Amino acid sequence: MAHLEEQTPQPLASEKLLVDYAKSLDCIHCGLCLQTCPTFRSTGAESSSPRGRIHLMRAVGEGRLTLDAAYTEELDLCLVCRHCETVCPAGVRFGEMMSFARNRRESHSPRSFPARIARFVGLRVLLPNRIALRLMGTCLRFLQLTGLERIAVHFGRLGRGLSDLPRIPPLPARRLLPARIKASGEERGQVALLEGCVMPELYARVNRATARSLALLGFTSHLPSNFVCCGSLHAHNGDHAGARSAARKMIQALEELGDGTLSIVVNSAGCGAHMRSCAHLFDSEDPWHARARAFEKRVIDYSEFVDRELQDREVQLTAPALPRPIAWDDPCHLCHGQGIRSQPRSILARVQGLEQVQLSEPEACCGSAGTYSLTHPEESRAIFERKLEDLEASGARTLITANPGCQLQWESGIRRVGKDTAVMHLAELVQAALLEKKS
Amino acid sequence: MHRLAQELRSILGPRGLIDDPTKLLPYESDGLAMVAVPAELVCLPRDTQEAAACLALLHREGVPVVARGAGTGLAGGATPVANGVVVSTARMRDILEVNPLDRFARVQAGVVNVDLTRAASRHGLRYAPDPSSQMACTIGGNVANNSGGPHCFKHGATTRHIQGLVIVAHDGEILDLSEPHLDPVGYDLVGLFVGSEGTFGLATEVTVKLVPTPALDEVLLAVFSTLDDACDCVSEIIASRLEPSALEILDKLTIEAVEASVFAAGYPVGAEAVLLMEVEGAGPEVEGTSRAIRKIVDRHSPLDVRSARNAEERRKLWAGRKGAFGAMGRIAPDLYVADAVVPRSRLRELIRTTIAICHERNLRLANVFHAGDGNLHPNICYDRRNEEEVARVLEAGHLILKACVEAGGALTGEHGVGLEKLEQMDLLFAPHDLDAMCRVRDVWDPERRMNPGKLVPLRACMELRTTRLEHKPEGIA
Repeated sequence: MAHLEEQTPQPLASEKLLVDYAKSLDCIHCGLCLQTCPTFRSTGAESSSPRGRIHLMRAVGEGRLTLDAAYTEELDLCLVCRHCETVCPAGVRFGEMMSFARNRRESHSPRSFPARIARFVGLRVLLPNRIALRLMGTCLRFLQLTGLERIAVHFGRLGRGLSDLPRIPPLPARRLLPARIKASGEERGQVALLEGCVMPELYARVNRATARSLALLGFTSHLPSNFVCCGSLHAHNGDHAGARSAARKMIQALEELGDGTLSIVVNSAGCGAHMRSCAHLFDSEDPWHARARAFEKRVIDYSEFVDRELQDREVQLTAPALPRPIAWDDPCHLCHGQGIRSQPRSILARVQGLEQVQLSEPEACCGSAGTYSLTHPEESRAIFERKLEDLEASGARTLITANPGCQLQWESGIRRVGKDTAVMHLAELVQAALLEKKS
Repeated sequence: MHRLAQELRSILGPRGLIDDPTKLLPYESDGLAMVAVPAELVCLPRDTQEAAACLALLHREGVPVVARGAGTGLAGGATPVANGVVVSTARMRDILEVNPLDRFARVQAGVVNVDLTRAASRHGLRYAPDPSSQMACTIGGNVANNSGGPHCFKHGATTRHIQGLVIVAHDGEILDLSEPHLDPVGYDLVGLFVGSEGTFGLATEVTVKLVPTPALDEVLLAVFSTLDDACDCVSEIIASRLEPSALEILDKLTIEAVEASVFAAGYPVGAEAVLLMEVEGAGPEVEGTSRAIRKIVDRHSPLDVRSARNAEERRKLWAGRKGAFGAMGRIAPDLYVADAVVPRSRLRELIRTTIAICHERNLRLANVFHAGDGNLHPNICYDRRNEEEVARVLEAGHLILKACVEAGGALTGEHGVGLEKLEQMDLLFAPHDLDAMCRVRDVWDPERRMNPGKLVPLRACMELRTTRLEHKPEGIA
């Protein structure tokens, strides 16, 4: 129960240590971030804006504010979509600041006992453990098949969030990928591929499509067997000790895979953004810091990797049968977190016969944000409303994205309002288009 | 305050009122971060009716009111006042009507400048005033400050683009000044209201003029080895009766900050100054003007002149200019942006003066300004925690404004007076001028509860009673 013990209040040398005070000074209060913030747009309250939250952190650092309930509420309300970073001229690293502030808040102002138990079970028991995740998947499927999930609605926020989940596929469809998936035809190279923690339970088909499309492009995928979760949800929720432990396992597993230098292809934008900046979890003297830095450089998003391959070989793709037109929606941690915008668009542009329409705000958050749709279902739905209006105005009949959280949010949101727009991961489209080309 | 909060909440709904001290903290400053006054309450009305009910109640209780848009203003116009309530337009963001045939739009005051432009662009139209903070600032805030922007050189500042207003007066009365036509009949009350910085009342709905998007726009970038050359070049363009749509100068420090930011525009790092110019209109007109401009630029020994090749390059060059203020955050924890206007024939001399004033006080200065309008923005770097430095910055700001006024200029080009320039108002105005302003203000707000202590200096208006509200018998409960 190390995680629970860690949460007893500790005396502080200085309030400055409660927040990343040095980073908070980068903000000059210009306010250009305000309108990009989904929670500011929905509440109109400046305390729910990036500038406002930094102002609060700064006040904590200056000893003007304690870690009170309202402060906690504002930290929790943030989706950490990082849209504000994209427009911040001063280069404020809001995501890292928020992760730091959440971490300190957890350790210096403990939550209620039930909340701590829920966090412990979620972050420390479930996520790092494949068997526990499988079990959870099976339980959820049981609830869904028996209709018991409808009762869950009456058990608070979490219950309402659960009832929103898409259908969990039967176990055979949730099978894990083998340790190695050979290139079809001539091998052009090898890569490391991650399956993720929740992905195999909800979107094993996306993982299969990822591996299959890489194989069709001539790449053999290697899957590390001895770790499960990258720790992005831990870092996101301020559990740095959990994030460090996950990161160490992940780094080691990927150092031991193949010759230890394989590019690590990631099909989940949230994980990728975290994996590309996980070194900040470790002190610069910690040997893991250097290992994490080396690891970060190996990470590549699926869209970057595939786009480069398609470009190098000037491959043209043919559109598979799917409801048209399609629209692309940027996952926040792809565009704001990793600066990847052109690559998915360039891939889509290569697919001949794919009729495309544009969302008017493709870079706006859909409200999924990791566990946010479970912890803040009402806010998450309110934020999603705007996206849904945008989708309807665009006339798209298939929505393409590249992050399991976003895919989940879109699927359950579209189902909730009784629409039939299809939702696909970019990898599923690429796989289908590559197969179309072959046939 | 507790009883007042309850009554306001019954008007505005549970999410329409902020009274938690923690949640109120971010409202203590606007874009002028060096001044902080705690807000007692923040009201977030959703429409004119709610705002009117809210103001009527505050009138009955005798509580001062500060209107706030996005809080991006740089002169402290939206800084709360002691014992006052902030009325924010952040939940009034509906675009009520876009009429492409009569070329106007009607919006709620909290609509963001860039959202209006985006809505208009679907009809081949745009809202011309484009403050650098346009991606965040609201139309209501633009009305309050008569905001400018790079393109106001050609199109004029906000006041030229406002056709009508719905105003909630100090006592909650709704004044509908929406004019269906461009030229007001009788007194131009709308014209009077624009630029009144929240001291006349609260604008809740704004009817704006829309102008056609130009057929062609060309963005030129000239690089100079001295700031003097860039200034002289602008002075000559103006004197030659040429009319580009924007003329902006960025100095070396600004270029470095912008190029290090997410708004990196491709300005040459290391150059002493760049001049960013835009020419818009029909094809032949654009061609002719840019040719004439290039001739003038060539006479001022430029290191390089080039024109943006495509829309993406044009967008980047502008994004860099508009992000310049924020990008300076990389160089200093805080930034003081002065805002003065000078005769355009004396740009070089006054830019030199600003540099000398800051140099003498050992302050880092970056100059980025609307050269075409003669609107200087000396950006002085400081750290708000260093009181002695703040004092030096304020002194420098004062001397710069004094020099500009003495040269025949004005105190503010577009940011407004707010709190920041109160002290300097008597550089420009004699006591009887200020008295006259107070009399106009009294017509709109006889109790002087609307944004008290801003725009017109305290001593002129004898506003002591609003700042010492606690002594007022019918003061806040």
